[in-house]
Amino acid sequence: MVSLLGGIFMGWALGANDASNVFGTAVGARMMKFWTAAILAAFFVLLGSVISGQAGIETLQGLTTFELSQAVIASVAAALAVSIMTLAGWPVSTSQAVVGAIIGVGIMNHQLNISGLGKVAACWFTTPIGGALIAFALYKVCAFFYNRVKMSLFTSDRLMKIGFVIFGSYGAYALGANNVANVTAVFVGAGKLTVFQAALIGGASIALGILTFSRHVMETVGNKLVKLDPFSALMVSISLGLTIHIYTLIGVPVSSSQAIIGGLLGIGIIKGTNTVSRATLRGIFLAWFLTPVIACALALTLFFITHLEYVGP
Amino acid sequence: MFKLFFQKEKKVEKLIYAYLENFNLSCEAFQKAIFSCINDPYCEEFNFLKNQTHKYESKADDIKNELNNLMYGKILIPDSREDIMRLILALDKIPGIMETVLSMIKYQHLLLPNHMIPDLRDLIDASMKACRIIPLQVNCLVKKEKGIREFMKQVDQKESYCDHIEKKLIKSVFNSDMDPFLKLQLRDLILKLGDISDQADRVSKRMNILALKRQV
Repeated sequence: MVSLLGGIFMGWALGANDASNVFGTAVGARMMKFWTAAILAAFFVLLGSVISGQAGIETLQGLTTFELSQAVIASVAAALAVSIMTLAGWPVSTSQAVVGAIIGVGIMNHQLNISGLGKVAACWFTTPIGGALIAFALYKVCAFFYNRVKMSLFTSDRLMKIGFVIFGSYGAYALGANNVANVTAVFVGAGKLTVFQAALIGGASIALGILTFSRHVMETVGNKLVKLDPFSALMVSISLGLTIHIYTLIGVPVSSSQAIIGGLLGIGIIKGTNTVSRATLRGIFLAWFLTPVIACALALTLFFITHLEYVGP
Repeated sequence: MFKLFFQKEKKVEKLIYAYLENFNLSCEAFQKAIFSCINDPYCEEFNFLKNQTHKYESKADDIKNELNNLMYGKILIPDSREDIMRLILALDKIPGIMETVLSMIKYQHLLLPNHMIPDLRDLIDASMKACRIIPLQVNCLVKKEKGIREFMKQVDQKESYCDHIEKKLIKSVFNSDMDPFLKLQLRDLILKLGDISDQADRVSKRMNILALKRQV
């Protein structure tokens, strides 16, 4: 159980951070109370992890075969990389941190699935693009109908509120299904957990992160996104859920932060507004490069340190 | 089933329509009061109608406060909440101006010169016509019906016409040989009357922006 603590910590951190992508807009804009959002997010994350989390877990654990000690190293390295990036104030992708750590351990272990790795890396680039395309298409289609349907201000508001609850829950489900692999897949690779156990423990730890520590991040992210009008915010929320769900079906854990940035870019293209600044974009690109690199380097270092042997004079 | 969850929103909707109905009543009372004063400055009817206007103005305040309280209770999405509150606040200035005009007449014992009466009637008529368009425009905005821009054009025309009469009246006041103090009193009254259509125009234009904002 102690060996799982690294994974549980990772799940907790992921829940605390990534729930903001799902419900941040609704909470920040005070369309939903924090506790309603947190309980919905925790419940649906757990549901998503258990029902649809297997594919991602199998992909990640297929990247290499770990012993338990190596799984712990990968987990701790990823958690440390996430913490470093968070302290530096850069957007964090837990998926990239975990994969970077897995690569690090895999290199030392001489066991690395290059084709699986290619699939994961390709998805990192296509996540924001996919998010942008989905948000763009969704906005265009929904706006066409929204502008033509005669709907009172009150009906429109009700639909918007219901939409945030439904699609926020859907986003949380997709987040759990997709990101649970980041939390416990290494322990499946190490033979410590079955896929179902990994999904359950991972989902529960993400849910714990949401319930205990997501308030601040959720409100901060939400307030940043309130610049969007409610309709656009709802479109971003739907596109986030859809993007992550699509990658869940492919079986690749992706970053919800990257998906939401993609969604924002999609809306930004339509609106012509600076929903994402150039400085933010530079930070994101730098983080995309640095997160897996730092996690990989940390895993290599930890692996090296733990394998040091005393050689007598 | 959703009705159970949105009772407060329903109440907000009812209050908006109650406010608009009250707004129409206060316009009606104001118009009757000022016309009765034109006919007979010391008549009983003027005092009664002035009190009626005050009553409607107070009721408008009560409804506005109730709406405020409900809105601060986080009813509706923030954008709509803010839009409605700003709109009602802007609209609420009109009954306030009408009450001020009646108070000026009553407490400053203003006598309206006969030669100005036709133009004053015109100014009041045009201002009230502009005001009566506003509730129709609000209804269009709330129900997302077409016609907001058309109503805005009508209010704009009335406002321009009021501006024209306002200038004409002020010119005629200062061209006359009446007492200079009375001239200043009348100028203030005319300017205040002109404020009614100006404010109606501001509200109308704000509604047009809100309608455009709601188009995605």
